[in-house]
Amino acid sequence: MDFTFNPEQDMLRDSLRKLLEQQYDFDTRQKIVNGPLGQADALWPEFTDMGLLALPLPENRGGFGGKPSDLVAIGELFGQFLVSAPYVGAVMLGAQVLALGGAAQAVLLERVLGGQAVVALAHEESHGVGRLEVLQTEVQEGSDGLVLSGEKRLVLAGSAADKLIVSARGAQGLMLVLVDPAAQGVKVTGYQTVDGRQAANIRFDQVAIASADVLPDADSDSLNRILDLTRLMLSAEAVGAMSALVQISAAYAATRKQFGQPIGNFQAIVHKLADMKIACTKSQAHLLNVTALADMGRAAPRDFALLKAQMGRLGRLVGETAIQLHGGIAMTDELNVGHYHKRILAIEAMLGNTEYQLRLAGAGG
Amino acid sequence: MDIEFSPALEAFRAEVCAFLETAPPDVREAGRKTTSVFAPFETVMAWQKILSEKGWAAPNWPVEYGGTGWSAEQKYIFNEEYARRRLPPLLPNGLKMVGPLLIELGSEEQKQKHLPGILNGDDYWTQGYSEPNAGSDLASLNCSAVRDGDHYIINGQKTWTTLAFKANRMFMLVRTSSEGKKQQGITFLLLDRVDYPGMEIRPIIGLDGKPEQCEVFFNDVRVPVSGRVGAENDGWSVAKSLLKHERGGLGDSAAMYARLELIRAAAQGTPSPFGGMMADDPTFHQAIGELEAEIASCAAYERMMVSGHPIAQDPAAPSITKVIGSELAQKVSTMMAKVSGVNALPVQSQALEVGSNTAMLTDDFDLIAMPYYLLSRATTIYAGSDEVQRDLIARSVLAQHR
Ligand SMILES: Cc1cc2nc3c(=O)[nH]c(=O)nc-3n(C[C@H](O)[C@H](O)[C@H](O)COP(=O)(O)OP(=O)(O)OC[C@H]3O[C@@H](n4cnc5c(N)ncnc54)[C@H](O)[C@@H]3O)c2cc1C
Repeated sequence: MDFTFNPEQDMLRDSLRKLLEQQYDFDTRQKIVNGPLGQADALWPEFTDMGLLALPLPENRGGFGGKPSDLVAIGELFGQFLVSAPYVGAVMLGAQVLALGGAAQAVLLERVLGGQAVVALAHEESHGVGRLEVLQTEVQEGSDGLVLSGEKRLVLAGSAADKLIVSARGAQGLMLVLVDPAAQGVKVTGYQTVDGRQAANIRFDQVAIASADVLPDADSDSLNRILDLTRLMLSAEAVGAMSALVQISAAYAATRKQFGQPIGNFQAIVHKLADMKIACTKSQAHLLNVTALADMGRAAPRDFALLKAQMGRLGRLVGETAIQLHGGIAMTDELNVGHYHKRILAIEAMLGNTEYQLRLAGAGG
Repeated sequence: MDIEFSPALEAFRAEVCAFLETAPPDVREAGRKTTSVFAPFETVMAWQKILSEKGWAAPNWPVEYGGTGWSAEQKYIFNEEYARRRLPPLLPNGLKMVGPLLIELGSEEQKQKHLPGILNGDDYWTQGYSEPNAGSDLASLNCSAVRDGDHYIINGQKTWTTLAFKANRMFMLVRTSSEGKKQQGITFLLLDRVDYPGMEIRPIIGLDGKPEQCEVFFNDVRVPVSGRVGAENDGWSVAKSLLKHERGGLGDSAAMYARLELIRAAAQGTPSPFGGMMADDPTFHQAIGELEAEIASCAAYERMMVSGHPIAQDPAAPSITKVIGSELAQKVSTMMAKVSGVNALPVQSQALEVGSNTAMLTDDFDLIAMPYYLLSRATTIYAGSDEVQRDLIARSVLAQHR
């Protein structure tokens, strides 16, 4: 047994950390996030050069066939640096689902991997759980061919995507269709999420779909695998955010003085720090264990569900405690603590929140 | 024991309802867009003016100063009907803090000068207590005032001064002596303007992305001595009297019940991932049941306060009240954000403004869920943190056994 990163992964982490330290310190990150919507390009050329865009994709699709642990290795750093670049939306979801397609999508995929185009997966609806069985969006056979109707929420990287892949119910079950965001009947409302990501709510009103834009052999198992891998990636981000919060809070408790002494002398604060450290350690262990299972192809859906649930519960505890421990300063936009907590909250809400995952796993799913 | 209100009180309730129904649309909108104890400023101040013309702006004040003369039960009913309609709560600083303080301790001149403006909403008072190094340990405050004839000259810094950039008045604590215990050298001052030469106010952006708290800097600011409340170096006891008003009264459960209903309504319109609507989902039932139980306990405790029951006169009662109220707000706001789910994630600061032309992405439940959750984290930090309150509560219980 070995749950440590291998030497190549350590190297990848080192170079990514160096990049983020140089180009994405917290102040720079805040400037990017507070800039005009669509500054998603920050870091994108660098990620492309480092091969991160191709990392999770299969080799026969031009990717590097990366393992889940490769993704976790970078995901933790994304959390630690509060990366707002659309990796989850454009790579974990968009590119991976596009790679399920066939020859007709090869050119687009190449552009995506080269960092010249962004494809977003429009999948979540108002439940925000990613569950295929509850999809409402539909593709129907109209008189002039296929038409798509429905509404998607929180389409990550969806505000500035060049193409959308939309999941929908069709006559034969799940369908994945490529849609041009500028097509007639598509209404994209872009926004920023509380944790600094670009996203969109998108309405599809009787949108015509050419048969060439239907991904062949779209099966729910493949999509579910991608969604689970994305849950793993989000969990890695959560762990990165939690570790950062433990360090920041400990440093603050050691230096902030009230009543003539560091607040770290007060037992109420000491116990909070201990609770945070315990929660963070549990989260890290849980993440690494599921990552190793996933590397060996042995992680079941319930493993991802339990992991995601713990990230939500433990992450919330760590974030809320960090704010309380800091006092008033944590209520400001200027300090990073609130931003870490927002990242954790957003992760909790994405692809099935804690209650949902617990229920799935508890039902034996 | 008797839990009913008399017929006379029910008639009073009808009168309250009739008037509150006349609240203008922008006031209602402000209520729906309230995400903390501080409702949207301009709208709520204009609404205060309307209420003060009716004579209802300050239920807690004595009649001779423009209060209502209502009994505790009447106040309770008013508060209940007010919250049920989700009207924006009036800002507390003037009406619940410095106003009652002046009535208790202010000079005749100070009362005449300040109370009318506090009551009718012409003036907004910001609270200048905290400093960068004086938070929980407020008594260690450093911002100094040196006497010079009829003036004090103030130097130093305040922080977290809520809405100072909208305020035209300020009440503050300054250090006038560094001898003896640190509590003994503090003086309480009223500033009749916040644009004295040498004063600078810088807003701080909050977790919701909007300015609310401020830093205030003082550089040789000359203010008249006539603004002092109580004696020089006796400001700590003045501040303690004010605290009594700030912490006194919970009055939150009616607002929390209103939010509970919002959550139920939202769940009616939210499909459950397990089929049907969230409102029909047993897990939701349990969660909302737990929340309602918490609110019911809080409401019951409020009634103990209103009726003067001994458990609400316990020495630890003010701290218990504070903890119950702030933790309840956090529970309710957490549940709102959970039910809103992915719809709570978009930042919608524009749409949150009263009268905004920016359309909401979904509805006003989703619009306020996240800012309300985030800002509610502050309730266990300000006005005596949870940790400090727990110390006080425990000390009080332990004292009975030592
Ligand atoms: C939204 C908001 C609005 C505010 N509005 C105003 C305002 O209008 N005017 C104003 O003057 N101030 C205002 N404040 C300031 C508020 O009163 C302070 O934030 C509060 O006193 C806590 O001080 P601090 O933030 O410096 O935290 P600190 O005192 O530094 O506390 C940090 C942590 O240490 C803990 N701690 C401190 N001492 C002890 C102890 N002895 N034992 C155990 N734990 C301890 C605290 O509980 C907290 O968890 C506001 C604050 C907020 C968040």
